[in-house]
Amino acid sequence: MVDFSMYEEAVPSVFAYKCPTCGTLYHPVPMVCRKCNARRDPSGVIYSAWEKVPLEGRCRLLTWTRVWNLPEGYDVKYLLFGIAEFENGLRASGRLLVDDPETGMSLYAKAGVVKKKGDKELYGLMLDRTP
Amino acid sequence: MRRVAVVGIGHTFFGNLSEFDLVDVLAFASGNALDDAGILAERKIIEQVIVANIGGGILSHQTGIASSLVSRMDMEPAMAELVENGPASGASAVKLGFMAVASGMVDTVMVTGGELMRTVTGWEATDFVATLLHPEAEYNLGLTLPAFGGMFTRMYMERYGVTERELAMVAVKDHDNAAKNPFAHVQIPVTLDAIHDNENANVVNNFVAEPLRLYGMCPVTDGAATVILCAADSPKMKYFTKRPPVYITGIGSATDTHCVHNRKDPLVLDAVRLAAERAYAMAKLTPADISFAELHDAFVILELAISEEVGLFPRGKSREAVVAGVTRLEGRMPINTSGGLKAKGHPTGATGVSQVFELVKQLRGGAAKENRQVKDPKHGLAVNFGGFGNNVVATICSKEPTW
Amino acid sequence: MAGEELETKLRPPLLDMKPYPPKVITLASGEKMVVREAKRSELGVLLGSIYPLLGAPRDFYDLVAARMYGELLAWYRYRVVNEFVLVGAIDGVIGGIVNSRMVDSRVGMSYHTIAIERGLRVGAQLFAAKMEHHLDYLGQEEVWIVAESPIGFKRWMIEYELEDRSSQFPKVWHELGGVPTFVLTRKLYDAVKSQKVTGSRPVDPALLATADKLKMPTEYPQLPGFKRERS
Repeated sequence: MVDFSMYEEAVPSVFAYKCPTCGTLYHPVPMVCRKCNARRDPSGVIYSAWEKVPLEGRCRLLTWTRVWNLPEGYDVKYLLFGIAEFENGLRASGRLLVDDPETGMSLYAKAGVVKKKGDKELYGLMLDRTP
Repeated sequence: MRRVAVVGIGHTFFGNLSEFDLVDVLAFASGNALDDAGILAERKIIEQVIVANIGGGILSHQTGIASSLVSRMDMEPAMAELVENGPASGASAVKLGFMAVASGMVDTVMVTGGELMRTVTGWEATDFVATLLHPEAEYNLGLTLPAFGGMFTRMYMERYGVTERELAMVAVKDHDNAAKNPFAHVQIPVTLDAIHDNENANVVNNFVAEPLRLYGMCPVTDGAATVILCAADSPKMKYFTKRPPVYITGIGSATDTHCVHNRKDPLVLDAVRLAAERAYAMAKLTPADISFAELHDAFVILELAISEEVGLFPRGKSREAVVAGVTRLEGRMPINTSGGLKAKGHPTGATGVSQVFELVKQLRGGAAKENRQVKDPKHGLAVNFGGFGNNVVATICSKEPTW
Repeated sequence: MAGEELETKLRPPLLDMKPYPPKVITLASGEKMVVREAKRSELGVLLGSIYPLLGAPRDFYDLVAARMYGELLAWYRYRVVNEFVLVGAIDGVIGGIVNSRMVDSRVGMSYHTIAIERGLRVGAQLFAAKMEHHLDYLGQEEVWIVAESPIGFKRWMIEYELEDRSSQFPKVWHELGGVPTFVLTRKLYDAVKSQKVTGSRPVDPALLATADKLKMPTEYPQLPGFKRERS
């Protein structure tokens, strides 16, 4: 049967990936598990494509910056970015939505739209104040 | 392994060369090196040409650049390949040239690195360099190399207490050196008062990626540099009597995680340390033997961090050396006598080769006429940093062979 | 009509324009740039400074020089009303010139910015000084801006977050012609002022005196090999 859910309105999502053999979480996902050498097949045909686990929730800000000179395509004065660490030890870079950040502060990470490529929306992690 | 000598060096002006063709710029540096080596008329003795360039396809809409250079210089039928390792392309090209000679496959190699980055706007150049980052986890967010430079600077300041003033002192030093380097992009000395102490400094030296400021990062530069290698035991050495040979005694490289957030400790530059350790081991040298260094200061914080990681100063303590003037031209450990990437400029494909150019020039005593000669140097170290530290090459050049 | 009467008819009514208080900026090289308002009597040295750039096609220098040349002459001969000119002088040598005018008490019309000295952000500093004069000293509410160089314009657009009024054409139509017109409002200016506008006041009298008699540059980075024929 056809998976008709593919026509639903897309929800921004950012994933960690879970090794099917030893359960180690990764972000971003490699092609070989560092711990147990399990291989990944993005097509899912020969090996598992690995389980996707939403990457979101409480995290701690490790470092941040406010960037005034942005690349082509970003016509805003500045953007803030940070590197955050989740409670499970995973780390990720994200857009920081807090205008007065402090190293070590608690944040809440959620997926958001970071840019558009033609019609397609690209998702990334947004780091905001804890609700 | 055979001993590898650097027998010729060449460089173009670094700056705005975007009105010229990319391969012409590479060829000009190549011609300068062939002249320097005294083999312009005999250039067909070069068996292998290696070109370092990242963006020819994107920024100049040209591919097959190494083949193109061979023809532009009338050097057929030399073997020719392009090497790409991000901003460490130049040193990687030197490494592969070294490997070709040291292995015995060829006797002579010409390595040319170059980039034309000003063919596009600054925003497009920033975007082009950002393609080094992980596409989904970093690039799509709008992250850039300066953004990571800023975050690295913040972490470093918080852990080791380096101040903005100390970073500004590094910039002052680099500009002072570049002012004497005829090839440098920025030849205007800057003052500590103007870029830090003065009440206007906050605007004159504005934030780029906080806490990194304008005078804490390199400009966008065009340019090329070339080195010519020959096996020290080759009969072809008879061609190279114009200049004293300098030896590549150690060379090594290493990789680290692509994503900066996945480094074990983002402040510990594992790839830098391992690359340097491999180079020291080959050269049978230690950090204490190094007389001077060219360290990849695309962001001035990296000059400090790399100098510690390669063992020139204890971790967290290089700021003391900066304040004491140790890293200035007249100090005990001159760093970036060329002006560094900060003031000499950073055409990404050229930088690694340009660093080796500077090591050789200093070891030959050739910087004396520019009033920026290191006193009696014996061994020079260059570190070329690819990506944001995920692929690093370290090269040691020596006045006399160490093996 | 008598000559004098004709001349009066050709001169539009003048607004009361407060003078720009001079300031000094320490450039990255350590050199001090005095930024002050130019006087009509200094037209000769201003025109002489711009004139060679009529032959510099890179980065639209030739077009900006040509337009500014006319605007300065019009200012001098009272054919453009309520125009002001600011210069940046390093040891008395002109490093850059900006000009602009008041349309009425509320609206300013930014004309041009020419940086002769390169590598020290002279253009950026003088553009900011121009906005400072409109909004802080002339007491206006907004400044209309266009630019010849697309790169320069994009920088202002992003760094000042200029308001895009191109959709209001022709009601909003910059005197220099064409769409789009972007606007720096007081609110936008206040948001960036601390990052864009700098300078120390009052200027030390001895330093100010170095800018009393303005001098034309003897070198132009835009024109390698330039030689001034007569001083």
